[in-house]
Amino acid sequence: MADRFAMARGETPGEAQVTGQWQEEVERNARRMKNFAELLLHPKEPVVGPTPRQVVYRKNKSILYRYESDRKYRTPVLFVPNLGISRPYIFDLLPKGSFVEYMTGKGFDFYLLDWGVFGPEDNTLTLEDTVARILPRMVRKVLESSGAPELSVIGYCMGGPLAACFIATHPEVRVKNFVNMAGPFDFASAGLFGQWLDRKYFDVDKFVDTLGEIPADLVRVGFKLLKPTMDLTTGLNLWWNLWSDDYVEGFRALNKWANDYVAFPGEFFRQWAKEFYQENRMIRGELRIDGSAVRLAEIRCPVFVVGAKEDYIAPPACVRALIDAVGSTDKEYVELPGGHISLIAGRGAAIHCWPKVSGWLGARS
Amino acid sequence: MADDASTQALFDLWKKQMEEGTRAWTRLVGQLGQGGQAQAPDPFAFWRPFMDAQMTGWSQLLTQAPPTPDALKQWKQFLDQWIAAWGKVLEQAMGTETFAQALGKYLDQWLSAQGPAKKIAEESTEATLQALGVPSRRQVVGIARQMVDLEERVEGVEDRLAALLARMDDLFKALEDHEAAAARRARERTAQ
Repeated sequence: MADRFAMARGETPGEAQVTGQWQEEVERNARRMKNFAELLLHPKEPVVGPTPRQVVYRKNKSILYRYESDRKYRTPVLFVPNLGISRPYIFDLLPKGSFVEYMTGKGFDFYLLDWGVFGPEDNTLTLEDTVARILPRMVRKVLESSGAPELSVIGYCMGGPLAACFIATHPEVRVKNFVNMAGPFDFASAGLFGQWLDRKYFDVDKFVDTLGEIPADLVRVGFKLLKPTMDLTTGLNLWWNLWSDDYVEGFRALNKWANDYVAFPGEFFRQWAKEFYQENRMIRGELRIDGSAVRLAEIRCPVFVVGAKEDYIAPPACVRALIDAVGSTDKEYVELPGGHISLIAGRGAAIHCWPKVSGWLGARS
Repeated sequence: MADDASTQALFDLWKKQMEEGTRAWTRLVGQLGQGGQAQAPDPFAFWRPFMDAQMTGWSQLLTQAPPTPDALKQWKQFLDQWIAAWGKVLEQAMGTETFAQALGKYLDQWLSAQGPAKKIAEESTEATLQALGVPSRRQVVGIARQMVDLEERVEGVEDRLAALLARMDDLFKALEDHEAAAARRARERTAQ
């Protein structure tokens, strides 16, 4: 249409094409302005977590959810995310943009452990509480609820080492498969966080004794500092794609999550910073939980480790270390494009990561 | 031609300003890193390739006629690369021992100031709430913690009960098996 008008105005085909491009650009700018005004003047609360689910079990702040599925595979999957820092709705952010929806769509009986939002009353929560008291109950509830004799466990981020600690110290629980997604194991290669939390510079005892808990705002500062240009990139990409309603919808949901930080229980943070980051005990086989040594070599089930090439929170070398530490014979490591979050959420994840995880698990479930 | 020359001059001026700014920044970081500490990063390594490529692209775009919206695309790519380059520079700077040391020192000072201030604020709030007969944060937290403990105990009892029931089930099953076997034996004896 633009071409015809341009030709009518006596323009050459090349000029007509340029005119068409400018018209499109003007239209996009108009849409940009409209969406910008809407974002600013009528901020809508995005609806996240669209996949239907039910609460299976609740322990203090922690909740175990089961998601509806056709259940093609007999072995249920328990997803263990990070504790504190952020909320787990990132794994079920939007329709067609949800890891949970993808996995349930593939026929997995999918369970998600939401550790919850901790308050000052949880400051005494320890690593032992999570690995020896919360996780065993959650696993038992998964088995009871699914009626299966064994389960697969997926650990994401900090959930990876927590799940590994549980599997290694609970040989009586029949874990059929273990998937570690961007979970740090060798803290000697833990990137900037590893350097900043070095005991030469960071007094974790003074930190916890003074603050009690690690407030959400401080967690936010830590993560923003890790990638100071992130907000600039987000802003620039938003402006560039502001004409697209789909992009804006995705942005709203992701932005909600990206600013929804969760406090760290004090004692847990002390152990996490000291025993994992500063002393790297787990990979050295020196970590003890309730008196028992955590030996990763005791993990003998099939293990799948997924690292992200541009992960600056859990760099690939830090994640990959699990492969060499476990006693499994069926083990595989893949390094996929993306960062710590884009490994599991977003368009890239749907292309690169989710099919790999579901394919690997499906063949063993 | 005059337009081409003026565009190029404008870009050259801009590029020069950027490089001078970066040089000043590097000097500043270099000063922080003195005294046997790690070397300051060299952001020029990141700058030059994409800067030159972008400049050439822009010069071509703006000198061609008629100009297209591709110029905006080029501008976006330029900004992306600029941010990425700065991100890398910052990452290198923040990865130095100097930065970790400075951050640690800052946190330590902040905690030293925060600790007493927090304590005073908590004590005065506690006293005020007590005077008003309102439960303080500490009391509410204490009650919440007791509830968490209570829940843990109840769950402990539930676990033991479940274990007992499971054992009883096993016992009943064994008993039933035993009775069935005894009945079978009795039937066999009768038949003989």
